[in-house]
Amino acid sequence: MNIIVCLKQVPDSTQVKVDPKTGTLIRAGVPSILNPYDHFALEKALAIKAKTGAKITCLSMGPAQAVAVLRLALALGADEGILLSDRAFAGADTWATSYTLAGAIKKIGAYDLILCGQMAIDGDTAQTGPEMANQLRIPQITFCEQVDTNGAQVIVKKLIEGGHQILEADMPILLTMTMPADYAPKYPSFMAAHKAQEKPIHTWTAADIAADPHKIGLEGSPTRVSRIFPPAARAKGEVISGSAAELANKFIEILKKESIVK
Amino acid sequence: MIQISQNCIGCGKCVAACPFGALSLVNRKAVASNACTMCGACVSGCPVKALSLPATSTAKKDLSAYKGVWVFVEIGYDGHARFVRPVGFELLSKGRELADQLGEELCAVIIGSNTQPYYNEISQCGADKIYAVNAPVYHNYNTLAYANAMLTLIRKYNPSVVLFPSTYVGRDLSPRLASELFVGLTADCTDLSIQDGNLIQTRPAFGGNIMADIKCPDYRPQMATVRPNVFKKKPVAGKTAQVINETIAVPVEAGKVRIKETHFDPVSTQEKLDESPVVIAGGRGMKDAQGFAQLADLAKHLGGAVGASRAAIDMGLAPKEKQIGQSGVTISPKLYVACGISGAVQHTVGIERSEVIIAINKDANAPIFNVCKYGLVGDAKQILQKILEQFPQ
Amino acid sequence: MAKNDLITRNLMLDSLRQYAKNRISFNLLREHDAKNEIPLDILKEMYDHDVLGVHLLLIPEEYGGLGGQTTEIYRICEELARIDLGIATGVFATFLGSDPLNVGGTPEQKAKWFKKIAQENKLVAYGATEADAGSDLVSLRTRAEHVKQDGKVVGYKITGSKMWISNGGVADIYTVLALAPGGPSWFIVEKGTPGFTQDAHEDKHGIRLSNTAGLSFDDVYVPAENLIGLKEGQGFLQAQAVFGYTRLMVAAFGLGGGEQAVETALEYAQQRIQAGGPLAQKQGFMLKLITPHYIRFEAARAYIDWTAKQLEINNHGLATEGAIAKLYATESGNKAAEDAIQAMGGFGYTKEFAVEKIKRDVKITCIYEGTSEVLEMTIFRGRWQEHLKSRGQYYLNQASEFDALHAQNPNVGADSVALGFRALARILEDCRVNKLTRHQYVTFMLGGLISEMEVAAVFTRECAGKHVTEGSRFDIDSLCTMARVNARQSAFKTTSEGLRLILGTCPDINTAELAQAVNLVGIEDKMRGLIDDMDKVSAKLREIFKK
Repeated sequence: MNIIVCLKQVPDSTQVKVDPKTGTLIRAGVPSILNPYDHFALEKALAIKAKTGAKITCLSMGPAQAVAVLRLALALGADEGILLSDRAFAGADTWATSYTLAGAIKKIGAYDLILCGQMAIDGDTAQTGPEMANQLRIPQITFCEQVDTNGAQVIVKKLIEGGHQILEADMPILLTMTMPADYAPKYPSFMAAHKAQEKPIHTWTAADIAADPHKIGLEGSPTRVSRIFPPAARAKGEVISGSAAELANKFIEILKKESIVK
Repeated sequence: MIQISQNCIGCGKCVAACPFGALSLVNRKAVASNACTMCGACVSGCPVKALSLPATSTAKKDLSAYKGVWVFVEIGYDGHARFVRPVGFELLSKGRELADQLGEELCAVIIGSNTQPYYNEISQCGADKIYAVNAPVYHNYNTLAYANAMLTLIRKYNPSVVLFPSTYVGRDLSPRLASELFVGLTADCTDLSIQDGNLIQTRPAFGGNIMADIKCPDYRPQMATVRPNVFKKKPVAGKTAQVINETIAVPVEAGKVRIKETHFDPVSTQEKLDESPVVIAGGRGMKDAQGFAQLADLAKHLGGAVGASRAAIDMGLAPKEKQIGQSGVTISPKLYVACGISGAVQHTVGIERSEVIIAINKDANAPIFNVCKYGLVGDAKQILQKILEQFPQ
Repeated sequence: MAKNDLITRNLMLDSLRQYAKNRISFNLLREHDAKNEIPLDILKEMYDHDVLGVHLLLIPEEYGGLGGQTTEIYRICEELARIDLGIATGVFATFLGSDPLNVGGTPEQKAKWFKKIAQENKLVAYGATEADAGSDLVSLRTRAEHVKQDGKVVGYKITGSKMWISNGGVADIYTVLALAPGGPSWFIVEKGTPGFTQDAHEDKHGIRLSNTAGLSFDDVYVPAENLIGLKEGQGFLQAQAVFGYTRLMVAAFGLGGGEQAVETALEYAQQRIQAGGPLAQKQGFMLKLITPHYIRFEAARAYIDWTAKQLEINNHGLATEGAIAKLYATESGNKAAEDAIQAMGGFGYTKEFAVEKIKRDVKITCIYEGTSEVLEMTIFRGRWQEHLKSRGQYYLNQASEFDALHAQNPNVGADSVALGFRALARILEDCRVNKLTRHQYVTFMLGGLISEMEVAAVFTRECAGKHVTEGSRFDIDSLCTMARVNARQSAFKTTSEGLRLILGTCPDINTAELAQAVNLVGIEDKMRGLIDDMDKVSAKLREIFKK
């Protein structure tokens, strides 16, 4: 069985700060991590590998440094990594990104299951996975919490408004994975990190995947940013400091003043 | 990379505008580094128009044939009854405004079985037309079935705008369509407007404390998703929409995904964030489960619900359903108390419609203090402890 | 495949950090510290192959390890020190304990013992220090007597005692230094060997999570094959061969502990509002208690990394460089931790905050693996030889190198380094001419000044080469500003201290002449712009270290 897992390297959002004066991101010194949803998807793929002996190929579109997330995936047990890296991919929105990733998957050729994280924590769109599935002309199931397989079909637990569904589906198929609230990603042992150096990582450019130049990068991106602006300022409220006891009293006072309590 | 022409006067406005810090002034001229993602944020602010994205070679199409603001109206099921999800009405009301500005029709699209009972209320949100794909085979949502139906309708009737709810269904369906149609799709918009005939899709951007207006000037239809409670339902009296029934066959591939079981989680009404008059929420500053227990106690005393910021959910302190913010729940309670929440714009867009906001945070510079009516600077857990002491145990 | 590349190192560091985040909370550390208890389960988990397998770093690949190079070992040591110096010491002791085997063992011995350590996750202890033989190991008294059978030596009987052995009470395998008939020798002794007992865990000022215990040997029999290298008398050579390497690891401890303390204080200072604004915005606070320490940390980091790279090319030796790294980084870390408490005021003084524990912990780094005073002597001796051999040209040659560097890159303080080296050359020459090295105090102080200048030189040179050292959070421009500050301060300290020593021991020397000869005015003149530069560094620190 062949599984492809799509990975994205993202800034650790718990550490990205905003400069209060300019509103710009302070990315200096912020570490990059594997998008946690993708990390979860990878662990699901590894569970299937443990059961069925599947081969896992990891795919990531990004700058050269994104190879670190592929190496992490190899250290956790994936078999092969492919980095899609090319200046021509820069400026891509979800359409161009999904086209590019799908192009690489077509080049990889044989696959039964594609797993993606539901969304990237720096993009938040949750669109790339389904757009990829459409490019590949395969079905999709989004917001999956669990996935299992008997080799012929996949059984997934998927979120719906107010609950969940159990679905059965034929392969090939693309699934996007959501994370449980208490998800704690697994990290490789030192030896696994060391041995990951032996596993192959290939770098592919736009030419390698025979990409149509009109469909990648900025050219392949229908959306444009028209304007950036700071959020609207509200009338400044009353801000006070004091001891915990003083502030607690003030809180109760406010509740009474605003008729929340008597 | 962003292109900088000779016109550059070295004013530095673009340096401040860049969300990625990719621009700097070298010898009084702007220079872009590899950090440039070609987001285009700097372009409109340049006083001498020295900045531009590389020209794309796509020929400009004639888009005048695309007319109509469409809203995908989702039918929900909660284990007991079927109903139109209220967000559908909210989007129709907003859609009515947009359609009026564009001078185009507002059309609802409804796919399902036995959908007639819903048409009246849809009309009362101002829809001019209802495109209905009404057949037993559409009783349950199926990606390929619904996508095929939507594509057929869109290609037949060429709308200029299609809006979707940002629900599990909407977020599953809309990207599939955007991909097939080669159009843009903006998720979780906090506002929509019209400018020069284009739909302006507003949302927080780049993981920071800034807003972006996104547009799709060269492609139709323009598509966006919006969360519940962002817009308000505004009834329009005395309208009857024209119902157009379409019969669309389901592609055989749709059978590749089959629903086996459906389960609903029991919900206590007290916990419904978007209906509660009082919401007490915690962020990273609440630190641990004990902090969140304090919030639950206070909520109980005040008859409210507990919510959380994205950071707290990432820390495992609360389940995702409790997330308040742009990619969570938008609330409009009488009282909102933010404890240990910094107040990044992705959160504040979800609370702006609250009547009274009290913020508790030990960082005097936290942005939450810019949006609250009352701000208390101190350690949230310590203050909460003292507050709880004042209630009968 | 012998090396671990940067990505692999970063993967290991991430795994270690995540492990600590999930398993080693501040409360856990606080409780163990208060009760003087060892988190043995944590140490065992860190050795578990499926969790981290941290000990595999030091075991060669052919014996089941991953053959870590000096760079990854010091980087892991730095991260361990940030987590807890006691736990770091527990891991380090295994590294240290295995060193005699690594350096002196026969292939059969290495195969046998390394495989055991790797596969069975054994903790190791290094048994050298005794009650009367600490810095002065030559006085060791534990002896190993021949046990003969048919005229052949079949084993040894070890009698004596060891003191303050890290992992002493918890190790499975011990490498023990004992006086055999042929001279000091290392023996492998396993726990449970009859006659071998371990004393109670010491009640220490700091690193209370590190087991420290005395060992007693009462006619403990070990077979002849447990003599490392199978040749008596190699003990001191084997110990010294790895000094460069082991001192570097402790240097990384000083760096990691110091950084953790200062960063904690800085994050606190960003939030603590007094007199209308956060403490971190106040110049006096930053320039006195925070900024100078971080500048020294980056200098230490550059020096440690440079030394590590040299050691990777030439695996042994560089004992003087190792000593410089250790002396500089640990003394800097220790002073920084002290100021971190001051910076946090009353909060820093309570056990609820981490800095008072870090201060207690980091002190040991100035003591074990060579006290600062022993290292000062070692450094002095090493460089004194160079000064003599080169007839006083050793530092003058380096000064010329830095003049040329300054011509290419005037932003890294290379001019101050050159001035400092010239002054140092003159100071050493005056010491030689006036036989001032007969004062032991002078030799100690000279060791310190030599370290000061050599670290400043490496930092400046790396910045000139636009090299951002692995693990640094700063951009090259900020590092250049730091290098400038550091170069000026080091040149000034070296020169004025040197003058103090010479004038303090030689009543006849003409002060004005000497001051001119070392260009004291020129060195002081370089101070222009110092405070401005330091303010720039403060601003950068505020930007990077925010909660």
